[in-house]
Amino acid sequence: MQRFTYTQARSAEAVPGTGARIIAGGTTLYDLMKLDIETPAALLDVTTIPGLDGIAFAGDELVFGALARMSDAAEHPEVLRRCPVLAESLAKAASQQLRNMATLGGNLLQRTRCPYFRNGAHYPCNKRAPGSGCAALEGLDRGHALLGGSEACIAVYPGDWAVALVAMDATLDLLGPRGARSLKVAALHRLPGDAPQQETVLEPGEMILRIRVPVGPIGRASTYHKIRDRESYAFALVSAAVALDMEQGVVREARIALGGVATRPWRVPEAEAVLAGRRLDRALALEAGRAAFAAARPGRHNGFKVVLGTEAVADAVMIAAERSQRP
Amino acid sequence: MSENTFPDRARVDARDKVRGATRYAADTPLPRLAHAMTVPSPIVRGRLTAIETGAARDMPGVLAVLTWRDFAGVASAGYLLGGGRAFQSHQPMLSDRLVHRGEPVALVVAETLETATAAAALVRATCEAEPFAAALGETGEEVTPPQQSYNVGDAEAAWTAAATRVDAAYSHPAQFQNPMELIATVAEWRDGVLSIHEGSQNAGAVKFGLAAALGLDPAQVRVDSAHLGGAFGQKNSMQLQTVLVARAAMLLGRPVKLVMPRAQLFHTASFRPASRHRVRLGADAQGRMVAAVYEADMQNSRADTLRPTFSEITSRLYDIPNYRSAERLVRTDVQSPGYMRAPFEHPAAFAFESAVDELAHATGQDPLAFRLAHEATRDPVTGRPFSSRLLADCLRQGADRFGWARRTPQPGSMRDENGMLVGWGVASGAYKAAMSPAIARLRVRANGTTRLSVSGHEMGQGMRNAILATLMAHLSIDPARVDIRVGDTEAVPQHLTAGSWGTASAIPVVRQAALEVRQRLAELRGSRQMRGDLHQMLARLRRPHIEVEVRGHAPGQPDAVFGRLQNGLPAAGGPEYPDFVSFSFAAHFVEVRVEPTTRRIRVPRVVSTIDCGRVVSPRTADSQVRGAVVWGIGAALREAAEIDPRFGGVLNNDLAEYVVPVNADIGSIDVGFIDRPDLLLNQAGVKGLGEVAMVGVAAAIGNAIFHATGRRLRELPMRMEHMV
Amino acid sequence: MDDDPAGVPPAISPCLTRREAGLGAALVAGLAPAAAQAAQATPGATLRLVLRVNGKAVDTMVDPRTSLLDLLREQLHLTGAKKGCDHGQCGACTVHLDGRRVASCLTLAAKAQDRRVLTIEGLAPPGGALHPMQQAFIDHDALQCGYCTPGQVMAAVSCVREGHVTDAAQIREYMSGNICRCGAYTGIVAAIQDAATRMREG
Repeated sequence: MQRFTYTQARSAEAVPGTGARIIAGGTTLYDLMKLDIETPAALLDVTTIPGLDGIAFAGDELVFGALARMSDAAEHPEVLRRCPVLAESLAKAASQQLRNMATLGGNLLQRTRCPYFRNGAHYPCNKRAPGSGCAALEGLDRGHALLGGSEACIAVYPGDWAVALVAMDATLDLLGPRGARSLKVAALHRLPGDAPQQETVLEPGEMILRIRVPVGPIGRASTYHKIRDRESYAFALVSAAVALDMEQGVVREARIALGGVATRPWRVPEAEAVLAGRRLDRALALEAGRAAFAAARPGRHNGFKVVLGTEAVADAVMIAAERSQRP
Repeated sequence: MSENTFPDRARVDARDKVRGATRYAADTPLPRLAHAMTVPSPIVRGRLTAIETGAARDMPGVLAVLTWRDFAGVASAGYLLGGGRAFQSHQPMLSDRLVHRGEPVALVVAETLETATAAAALVRATCEAEPFAAALGETGEEVTPPQQSYNVGDAEAAWTAAATRVDAAYSHPAQFQNPMELIATVAEWRDGVLSIHEGSQNAGAVKFGLAAALGLDPAQVRVDSAHLGGAFGQKNSMQLQTVLVARAAMLLGRPVKLVMPRAQLFHTASFRPASRHRVRLGADAQGRMVAAVYEADMQNSRADTLRPTFSEITSRLYDIPNYRSAERLVRTDVQSPGYMRAPFEHPAAFAFESAVDELAHATGQDPLAFRLAHEATRDPVTGRPFSSRLLADCLRQGADRFGWARRTPQPGSMRDENGMLVGWGVASGAYKAAMSPAIARLRVRANGTTRLSVSGHEMGQGMRNAILATLMAHLSIDPARVDIRVGDTEAVPQHLTAGSWGTASAIPVVRQAALEVRQRLAELRGSRQMRGDLHQMLARLRRPHIEVEVRGHAPGQPDAVFGRLQNGLPAAGGPEYPDFVSFSFAAHFVEVRVEPTTRRIRVPRVVSTIDCGRVVSPRTADSQVRGAVVWGIGAALREAAEIDPRFGGVLNNDLAEYVVPVNADIGSIDVGFIDRPDLLLNQAGVKGLGEVAMVGVAAAIGNAIFHATGRRLRELPMRMEHMV
Repeated sequence: MDDDPAGVPPAISPCLTRREAGLGAALVAGLAPAAAQAAQATPGATLRLVLRVNGKAVDTMVDPRTSLLDLLREQLHLTGAKKGCDHGQCGACTVHLDGRRVASCLTLAAKAQDRRVLTIEGLAPPGGALHPMQQAFIDHDALQCGYCTPGQVMAAVSCVREGHVTDAAQIREYMSGNICRCGAYTGIVAAIQDAATRMREG
């Protein structure tokens, strides 16, 4: 790790002008700095900014301060009750130690686990070294994307929380050099295209202040279903965030997003459409699962995720539906 | 004071361990300690043509950047299995030759770890790369001719003539030990003495290996390995960084510490090599197993030869009249593979015990009854008796504890209350009961203290507990004031502690030392009646202490083995002894639940019953078995090194991507011991435990998955992609 | 060295410099004896850091790159927290930061400014009784090699305080951030169930 300066911010307004790299919990950035993959010359710690770590209801919205810790939101009783998909996406990520460190805003920006990216200069990687090529395309792609990949990059977006937020149509409040703006979480991450090094639409110095989630009838019957190589403390092989609005066994509205299989949080309206207006049983849930993976382009070692993901979506739909029966 | 059953006793070093007070190598406090970091080779195989170190040297706080040119006159310590003392013959940084991914090409030493790490990243190596094959099955691998290992009867003919035949191929990936303690060396050169603090299972090899490499008199080298943070075979000899750090400390005149980063350890330390196995089994018309042919290939490095002994146990698990086995080495461009818990026995048992299950199924027999029906009474290979063999007891007692009788035979026939597919599987395991030469020195003092020094290392298996239990069984001494010295070359000569021979080697000499102390006391006491404990008696006799030294070795070994012990060379004997053969045995019963939709596999329940002779330390023995079962679960369902053949390195070189079991992976583990002493093997009746307890677990899991789903998985790890 | 078994270091590479070595920090009475050695300027230690460690004030200079783990181990000589991965993947480095368990290897030391750190060394008073969790780990043999144990114990204490001890399954889940390669998991779960009761009574 090369040298850098470290400063603590006292207010959000002071952040955009500094030119420094923002660090929050540091669980991604410091990790990648230790691997010499991130090499910022200056760090600005934003976790010292007061007032951005709350979790509250405001009208029909659940508002998360960007500096709230993952563990706070994962166990917030109202979040658990009114929108379990959000809480579960956090509780099933990382470990409690890391959830105590990582922030809700920073978590959205975690970077891929692609080993060719993380292992440094021995391996070509367009995301780490633009123009060097993508070793994963013809390589060990068991953990790589079936959806949203390009000729330049098939690295998976590894997060869980963003997948749940995309399913829930969440919005970000940002503060940047050009002032404040709002952005759908669904619009935060870019497809890799021919510039996989550009992962989000955030401008340099732009900071996430808040995450707003509309919570209506569709929050309660929701779940985050995550299939991993071990029972805990692992990234998703495939995950499904599902939220349903049901009435007497019929799906009024469905939201489905996928994790672990796409280059960014992946909403699947095709699968949602399968369910909408129809009486739910497992066969229909499976049909939605198949629709979710209809566009999948498997590589050499990840084809099993089409079947696995289809079943995981179907299971998630059934779990969410069961929750709609709860009082 | 009895040897018939040993009392439950808390782990003797647990109080320090729960307070974080136990000092592992990297915890050694030394003034003026400098920090080192390695620079890994950027290629797999070739030649270092240039190395640019200027930027690193210019960094403030950097003390030295050493390259191969700084190691003139230093020699390789040699390969452990070739008369040397290192885990491989290739010692990096002695020349410009590069033979495996990640080997160090430079060592940076600096005032701080941060500076050393940053400077290491600035060193640029230029190399001439050569073609390579770094994994099994790749172009460029070199396969040696098969070498026959066991041949009983005429297995090929018997198999060809068999009424029911199984012919199946199994594969096992490369796996890494990943002890929690990173491999670390702290070296200090002072007054002509080189002091090394390194967690090693073989302090003696480190001592003599360093002396040989650096041209020192062995008396100048002291190695302290009092506590290891796990080892599992990876720390069984001199590591490749040890001499680099020692040399740096000598050149700088300051103590130097190097803690190898986890990612580098996947390329700089030994591992369980990949292997492929073909098992052919045949049964006659009555369903009796009559033929077994077992052929296997195992990955090796180019330079060193690690001979697989897969068939050492599979040739003896059953009474099969015709058995033949042969192995081939597959030479690849990797660091030399070595020993990882049950190094050959676990892969062999996975293959063989899966095949046995397949044959039992093919002949319509219950897999437990099938195994019991083929129980051997004499060693099928040598015709000699087993010193003890209680495998049938393990199987029967384990089956009772598990409730095997409630199993329905048809695959897919059992479900739980949540609709999960339930599978019950069984497999047997065996592991050689070996012994090494060992020396114990016991001093009991009138002041209430006792010191016991012995050849052996404490890696967490509980050797100190077994030693204390043995002392307490024979001596009335104060257990709170016993100083047990293991892993210390300055106490007594140190032999490699591995192969499950640690306890079986140390305990007999400790026991004998205790008996000799009693004898000496009796002589001193004469006919006088005395009360009180041993310390008090010594005080009354006005003797400051009694000291005895005892040495021992495996049955039938010549005294020349002590010469090897005193020179840091391996000298274990077994399992074939002049009058008998000796093995420990295990029976594992596993319940799996398979989610019918995603095919996720879970292991909620394992029952393991072990014949390891006398159980000297019940509490730590129990923990050993639990740990071994966790290892079996990890090896069966989780762990594989992922190697991209184009690049030759391990891609999943960290603990996030090389998935070892976590707490949530582990359910109930019920442990049973037969606990009958093997008095032919040694007077303490002790056989090995740490490895046999893992042997067969993976097969039992695979057999349970077959029972749950009807799907036979022959490739480890058994993962989701094999199930859908 | 061949020509010089007595061991006077020969002349070597010109890159060697002899900088005065300071232990680089920490005049903390009673924290750890070695830490009280005279602090001299360590290259790169540019940040002044004030925090409380195990109840005692620490005022030191750190390199901005230093992790909380390396600060504890290398500067303050509190070696109970262990390095098992250095990337937040194993839990051996677990300490409490302002009362919450964190991975100290993945926490910049600079982030501990004005905060409270509790390590295994501060969990129970020196020389006194063990913390109930420590005792339970002994009683249930919830350890083997002991390397992950300080991290397990610190995580386990948090697990109880967080209320994540409803049943064995919940304990397993909330202890999954602490890898035990020796495989002492069943003992760890039993120890936590036992200690949870004792901690409530205590």
